[in-house]
Amino acid sequence: MFNDFLKKVMGSNKSDSREVAKKRLKFALIYDKLEVSDDILNALHRDIVEVISRYFEIDHDAFKLDIRRSDDFSALIVNTPILSAKHKDPRHSDL
Amino acid sequence: MIPLTPHLLPLTPYTRCILDGRIIVITSGKGGVGKTTATASIGAALAMEGKRVVVIDMDIGLRNLDVVMGLENRIIYNVVDAVKGKCKIKQAAIKDRRIENLYLIPASQSDNKNVLSPEEMVGFREIISKEFDYVLMDCPAGIERGFENSVAAADEAIVICAPEVSSVRDADRVIGLLYARSITPKLVVNRIVPEMVERGDMLNHSDVVDVLSIELIGLVPMDDQVVVCTNTGMPLVLQKKSLAGEAFRRIALRINGMADLPIEVPQSQSRFWKKLGTRLGLGK
Repeated sequence: MFNDFLKKVMGSNKSDSREVAKKRLKFALIYDKLEVSDDILNALHRDIVEVISRYFEIDHDAFKLDIRRSDDFSALIVNTPILSAKHKDPRHSDL
Repeated sequence: MIPLTPHLLPLTPYTRCILDGRIIVITSGKGGVGKTTATASIGAALAMEGKRVVVIDMDIGLRNLDVVMGLENRIIYNVVDAVKGKCKIKQAAIKDRRIENLYLIPASQSDNKNVLSPEEMVGFREIISKEFDYVLMDCPAGIERGFENSVAAADEAIVICAPEVSSVRDADRVIGLLYARSITPKLVVNRIVPEMVERGDMLNHSDVVDVLSIELIGLVPMDDQVVVCTNTGMPLVLQKKSLAGEAFRRIALRINGMADLPIEVPQSQSRFWKKLGTRLGLGK
């Protein structure tokens, strides 16, 4: 506090754009890595529907896949209505 | 024992002969950070160490390495001709008359980047690495086909990055893409302005290394001589007073086996004199 005041009075020419740059960069890289392309999202959609369909009868058209971001975290939200459960264990279906 | 003839082995990166030359791609993601200058300078410095070096301009449609090296008047064939087998490598490689053992294969100016494919480049690497100790590829900016082609032919990579936000971000992206292709790149921080670093107005090299977390192989200061040399087509590394040229020479030495050659941090003139003064016992 007092230092800031002194700096202002003395007209210090030390600036700190470097610190700002580093902080912004770190956040930008974190956000960049959370971005998912539509192709990948579509492939994931296909795979999840396929896996769930082994166990449940689901409404394919109502299936929803979404990535929700907030300041602190990202979440993958899958929402699907189940029409009925399949009672056979798919792993043993061939036996 | 059955004698193994090398050409009968499948030519994958793992079975290539140890006598084959090293193929290094110089890349950055962002344009204008000094890839072409770095390629020309490191290539020239490696040739001055007595190695047979070819530098290849992979920026098809926008060639520039030829003018930076002052060889633009001697182009007959280009990299597309060489890769497609329309000419021999010896015909496409222009010999630099000032530096022994240095050759340039220029880009084609009339073609589109899509005339070459990564598969063709993988084939090309086997031919070119037999003829030279070092093959340096000047990768175009961006991460599209030109990047794919350059990386497909390379075993190693050097990422050039300027100490500014946009360049570091693009470098990070490119490093990710290189890792995905099992290449562990090394970093050159280029265009450092020591005065700005000292007053806290530019990312310093440890900030950049910290963010990108890859191995550093050199620090290059901003240097007016780069523009002067590009104006005349003279090799930067032949310029005795060029700080950037000196830095690139040291990078070449590190690539060429002197791995523990210390990395010097560029310093401003005032800082230099102050340090000298302290050493001589002047001041505190």
